[in-house]
Amino acid sequence: MEALGLRDDLNDKSAVAAQNSLQLIAFSIGDQTYGVEITTVREIRAWNGATPLPNTREFVRGVINLRGTIVPIFDLRARFGDGQTSPTKNHVVVVMSVGDKWVGILVDAVSDILTVSRDDIHNVPEGNSIDSELLNGIVTHDSRMVGLIDLHAVVSGAKMDA
Amino acid sequence: MTLRVLTVDDSRTILAMLHHTLSNAGFEVLQAEDGQQGLDVLKTETVDVVITDINMPVMDGIEFIKHVRATGLHQSLPILILTTETSQDKRDQGKAAGGTGWIVKPFDPEKLISVIHRVVH
Amino acid sequence: MSDLDDFKATYFDECSELLTELEEQFVAIEAGERDADRLNAVFRAIHSIKGGAGAFGFSALVGFAHAYETLLDYVRDGRIELADEVVTLCIRANDIVADHVAAARTGDALPADYGMDEKARFDALARGEAPADDDGEGPDEFDIEFTPVMVSLDSDVEEAEYDIAFDLAELDDTFEIVPMAIDHGQWEVRFTPHRALYARANDPLLLFRELGALGEMSVKAVLNPIPPLSDFEPFDVYCSWEISLVSPTLTEAMIREVFEFVDGDCDIVIVQAGAAVVPAPAPAVEAAPVAPAAPEEAAVSDLLALADDEVAHLLDFTPEPKPAPVSAQDSFEEPPGLSFAELAESLKPATPVQPAAKAKPVALAPAAAESSGEEGERRAVGVQSIRVDLDKVDRVVNMVGELVITQSMLTQQMDETLRARYTELVRGLEVLAQTTRGLQDSVMAIRAQPVKSVFSRMPRLVRELGLKTGKKIKLETIGENTEIDKTVIEQLSDPLTHMIRNSADHGIESPENRLAMGKPETGTIRLSAEQAGGNILIIVEDDGAGINRERVLGLAREKGIVAPDITPTDEQIDQLIFAPGFSTAEALSDISGRGVGMDVVLSNIKKIGGSVHVRSWTGRGCRMTLRLPLTLAVLDVMLVKVGVSPYVVPLSSIVETIQCSRAAFERVPSGGQVLQVRGEYVQVIDLAERFDMETETEADNRFVVLCEAEGSAKVALIVDDIIGQQQVVIKSLEENFERVEGIAGGTILGDGNVALIVDVQGLKTTIVHKNAA
Repeated sequence: MEALGLRDDLNDKSAVAAQNSLQLIAFSIGDQTYGVEITTVREIRAWNGATPLPNTREFVRGVINLRGTIVPIFDLRARFGDGQTSPTKNHVVVVMSVGDKWVGILVDAVSDILTVSRDDIHNVPEGNSIDSELLNGIVTHDSRMVGLIDLHAVVSGAKMDA
Repeated sequence: MTLRVLTVDDSRTILAMLHHTLSNAGFEVLQAEDGQQGLDVLKTETVDVVITDINMPVMDGIEFIKHVRATGLHQSLPILILTTETSQDKRDQGKAAGGTGWIVKPFDPEKLISVIHRVVH
Repeated sequence: MSDLDDFKATYFDECSELLTELEEQFVAIEAGERDADRLNAVFRAIHSIKGGAGAFGFSALVGFAHAYETLLDYVRDGRIELADEVVTLCIRANDIVADHVAAARTGDALPADYGMDEKARFDALARGEAPADDDGEGPDEFDIEFTPVMVSLDSDVEEAEYDIAFDLAELDDTFEIVPMAIDHGQWEVRFTPHRALYARANDPLLLFRELGALGEMSVKAVLNPIPPLSDFEPFDVYCSWEISLVSPTLTEAMIREVFEFVDGDCDIVIVQAGAAVVPAPAPAVEAAPVAPAAPEEAAVSDLLALADDEVAHLLDFTPEPKPAPVSAQDSFEEPPGLSFAELAESLKPATPVQPAAKAKPVALAPAAAESSGEEGERRAVGVQSIRVDLDKVDRVVNMVGELVITQSMLTQQMDETLRARYTELVRGLEVLAQTTRGLQDSVMAIRAQPVKSVFSRMPRLVRELGLKTGKKIKLETIGENTEIDKTVIEQLSDPLTHMIRNSADHGIESPENRLAMGKPETGTIRLSAEQAGGNILIIVEDDGAGINRERVLGLAREKGIVAPDITPTDEQIDQLIFAPGFSTAEALSDISGRGVGMDVVLSNIKKIGGSVHVRSWTGRGCRMTLRLPLTLAVLDVMLVKVGVSPYVVPLSSIVETIQCSRAAFERVPSGGQVLQVRGEYVQVIDLAERFDMETETEADNRFVVLCEAEGSAKVALIVDDIIGQQQVVIKSLEENFERVEGIAGGTILGDGNVALIVDVQGLKTTIVHKNAA
């Protein structure tokens, strides 16, 4: 599967979106749905393996070659503490920019593009420490709970002894 | 018709600023980093006006102007001297060598263009 | 980024070049080479820094540079003698200029009185040395009458404000001079150009155009002095003009302003209407009055028509072909007219005014810099040289790197059968290989620069260190024309500074101690660069005391870098000075310190794919060797497998490869393994274990890659398979991730997968620490 090239199709929509609303790319891990702001997404690719990196935590799946630059892949399931994903060709890597770096997030599937209102974003309920560490907030869409991923938090702490 | 300007200065900053100002004003800009390079350009290129610095390595602006005038081919080529000197003597030296006029650095863009139009058709 | 920011970037680049040049010039000047060329180069450098600073409104920098420049000007014309203390003052002034430049770059403000002491010393010098009869000399001379003007290239508003300010100032002036001449001003101008006016390429037509913009104008040409054609001298001036201008706001100053450039090259009489104007001697031709300002074009074409008429008129006159020489009126010594022969001569294609440019460095130090031939030549062609964005060059370098790899892949595909069958293809591939290599070399040459630019900063450092420590130190530099990739050079400055500081601080002994030990009083630090195969070696060597191993080991144990029960070899102890967290500097003196230790050297050098090795001889000195890659782009490697993952090991560090079944492993009491190679015991690192990879390869089918990092002991890496040699392009892991222990970077293989580059030296240091921890 080729990169989906979603960006071009989506630019129009995001331009239309009102100031107060937010466009998200939603993706799933098991029956959980997570989202990231669409503007941070660079491309979406099918999983095609990665070269493992030694001395890194289990959620670092390794590195891939993205048109000549080396990009690390983070396993979101493992990041949330649910063990490593056993990826197949149907799994998906969402390439995003975090600051000036590009990273890939391994997820089960990309499910949707959602437009939500900023007013509908709620704080992460206390109690689950991993969730509150890795999520910026929670939003309900079509009676589904969507966790908003805090990318900076997800990619930090990648080294073994960090 | 696009006017061609040869700019001669050993400072890249000044060359870049001249280039910016002049090309924005619709001039075609040629560059040289010292008098010798300036002469080399004039051997092969036709220009409508020359803007030259005075203090330069290899061949300074005064020598450069003398050489240009001495070739005979460029008797009517306007040459403007770029100078930071507020004192009269660099200007006088430049004029004695055959300079047409002068521009005092730092130049403001509009003034630069108006000075050029003062010496070029 | 705005244009102004672009220019600033250019300016700061240029400043760092100029500051480097200043540094170089003063090294020579200090050594006694005080010729005019050097002084001129120094003057020009300061002048250029000032010029740019003026353009950006860096007034503090302008102020200081101006005072310094004035001092230099005095030195240049001999009014001030270039005595040693003046040189010292200049060197100090260079620092201040550099600080001002740095402050301008970062936008930080320096204290208002920064450099004022030095400025005062410039004054004192000028007072002491300047001849008394020079008016305006003395302290005032150095006051800044040079007001920087902020040039705005972005905003029209600011420019507009400018002009208004300008015009008002001018009007103010005139109000004072001729308060009431405003109403319905009519002006008569009598304009008689000299031959010099034309010789300087000024053109009366343009003056008229400009005058025409000032008001309603009419022009009369005064033709009576024109001689008959028989006496006509083509380069002489026979024509003068009477111009009348009408405008209510016109002033004499405005008219004079038009004639600013031709002042002295013509006679000008400006009279206000009503006053007597010398009547024009006939015959005069009347030109049509010209409308003011707007229809400028009309004015010009009218005048042109006039000129054409006149020429036609003249030509009608006489058919006499031979112009006779000169009327008495010619009193100017301007360039003589050319004969046709001369003209023809000057039109010949190859009549260079000056001999064709040879190796003349343009932007670098003129006389002093004997840059390598190639560099010199490239710069000298001048007109044919271009400045190229480094990014663009990098892109080419990268693509050439990929091309080299593709080419070597293609070549590897050719097995014997294919070779036999497709001889033409084989030949083609050989040519391709050659061309590719050539291309690679040429591209690398573009980025290569002599290490001189870094070396030249060191004498200064050594001098300062000598002053601070009270030691006598001399610096020798060798091989400063050795060329390395620009990126490598940029990364060299900090490590070298640290290493030299370290030598001066810890290596060289005090003069008394040296004498007591029978050594020369003055210690020597030798800095050298040489090419060794695909590497550049930079060596910092001193004849000091050598590394105090007891002290180093003691400190290392104290800091928990080496465990109490470990006894490192001498060589390992020496290498400890580069260990992270080990900075003898902070503990021992404030010089090498400055917050960072020698571990910075190691990490900087590793970042660019190099290695550091130190060797010490107690009481005799110490040698630190930096081994740097000639280029950052392409690396020769051995491709291996660890588990299922591809790894590459730099070929330069591989001694040999051995099949495990044939290797002589031996157990050591601690439970680890060593390998015996020709009587030498070598530390064994199983990469699968080290990198935590699963391996299913049977022990006997695995391989030993025997490696040796720069100068140090060997290490045996165990891998699962050896695939073969190839060239790879180094890619950064840190660009999108972070540094990973034991990994020097990544690379992309022919199949598109990423392989990691094993950091051989890094693995070894880590092991030492693991043991120690």
